[in-house]
Amino acid sequence: MNVQAYILSGIVESYVLGLASAEEKMEFENMCIQHPEVLQARINFELVLEKQAMEGIVAPPAALKQAIFSEIRAEAKVVTMQEPVPVKNINWLKYAAAACFILLAGSIYWNVSLTNKNNRLQREYEGTVAKLADMEKDLKMISQNPAIKMAAMKGMPDVPGAFATVYWDTTSKDAYLLINNLPVPASDKQYQLWALLDGRPIDLGVIANEYFIRQDRLLLKAKNTQNAQAFAITLEKKGGNPTPEGKMVVKGDL
Amino acid sequence: MNFKPTYSEVELVALLQEQSEQAFSYLYDNYSGALFGIINQIIPDKEIASDILQEVFVNIWRKISTYDAAKGRLFTWMLNVARNAAIDKLRSKGYQDSMKNISMPEDVTAISPSVKMQADDYGLRRMINKLKDEQKIVVELSYFQGFTHEEISKSLNIPLGTVKTRIRSALTLLRTMIQA
Repeated sequence: MNVQAYILSGIVESYVLGLASAEEKMEFENMCIQHPEVLQARINFELVLEKQAMEGIVAPPAALKQAIFSEIRAEAKVVTMQEPVPVKNINWLKYAAAACFILLAGSIYWNVSLTNKNNRLQREYEGTVAKLADMEKDLKMISQNPAIKMAAMKGMPDVPGAFATVYWDTTSKDAYLLINNLPVPASDKQYQLWALLDGRPIDLGVIANEYFIRQDRLLLKAKNTQNAQAFAITLEKKGGNPTPEGKMVVKGDL
Repeated sequence: MNFKPTYSEVELVALLQEQSEQAFSYLYDNYSGALFGIINQIIPDKEIASDILQEVFVNIWRKISTYDAAKGRLFTWMLNVARNAAIDKLRSKGYQDSMKNISMPEDVTAISPSVKMQADDYGLRRMINKLKDEQKIVVELSYFQGFTHEEISKSLNIPLGTVKTRIRSALTLLRTMIQA
């Protein structure tokens, strides 16, 4: 193709003025890429056209610029109002997911702690039921057994609040101790129960110090004694003594 | 003296594509008069032309991302946006009903009044007024009234090839006139 003839054919003006067909446009754009002189001819005509147009200026109404800016700003507002919607949704989902996670974590924690608490309560309940059953058994044993004799041991003058009770089965010769109120002994000391027969002390055993902590039994089973006139508790060294050496805390006659 | 920034075309396009209101304001201040001029050549009614100019600038703002510098200068693009908007209005039913007299002419003589030189003719229109009548008519109908070559051929009852040749020769002549 003769490029100069192409330039002079009127295609340049036709293209720039927007009168070329789609086919002509495509061909012209290709020619501009391949032949710089075609591109230059296009630019030259564009500049002439612009110069002509600038000579034909007609002042638009003064208020028009403001009207245009109002319109594009209103449009910008619509755009910014539309934009946050998906963002908001994402946020909502994020927050909802976070809330769900927190609720789930909280629920799991709550479940675990409830399970733990429930297990603990279950154990405590079972322990309490067993303890109550033991106490009821003890109570039945001393209250419904006509062979039981009771010795109320009162505090010595230096421990007036101290009080304990011995139930002695005259038939089985079993002795049971009820500690109504005794001071908690020092850890290197233990209370020891004695039966007194004709002024002679008979060892009925030491009271485990754990009792004062747990108090899980109503009655403490003491050693058997074939006979007794009175009972007494002394505070002895840990493990007890064959004969009382410590001071007497409580004493009562049968 | 007011300082006004000036932009190179590349800068201006880049700023407009970033939706810079300052650049858009510059564009309006520098080109609204020229675009209003081209719209007025197609739609003489100032009020309607003013509405079209508003539409044109809003469209330039909206569609600046579609402008391709490889296909022409920014002004050429804007000029064609303005011309197309004015022709759309010219050919709309509402406008034709209100104007009555502007419709596809049935014969050559009917075109003559609209092609007749006016006192306030300027720019491209003033240039085409220097062309021969048969060239003037085809340029008027195609460029200022937006008729296709086929429509012109049918209307003027001349072969399609002749329409194309006349337009081309008119534009070639235009070119030599400009360069003279």
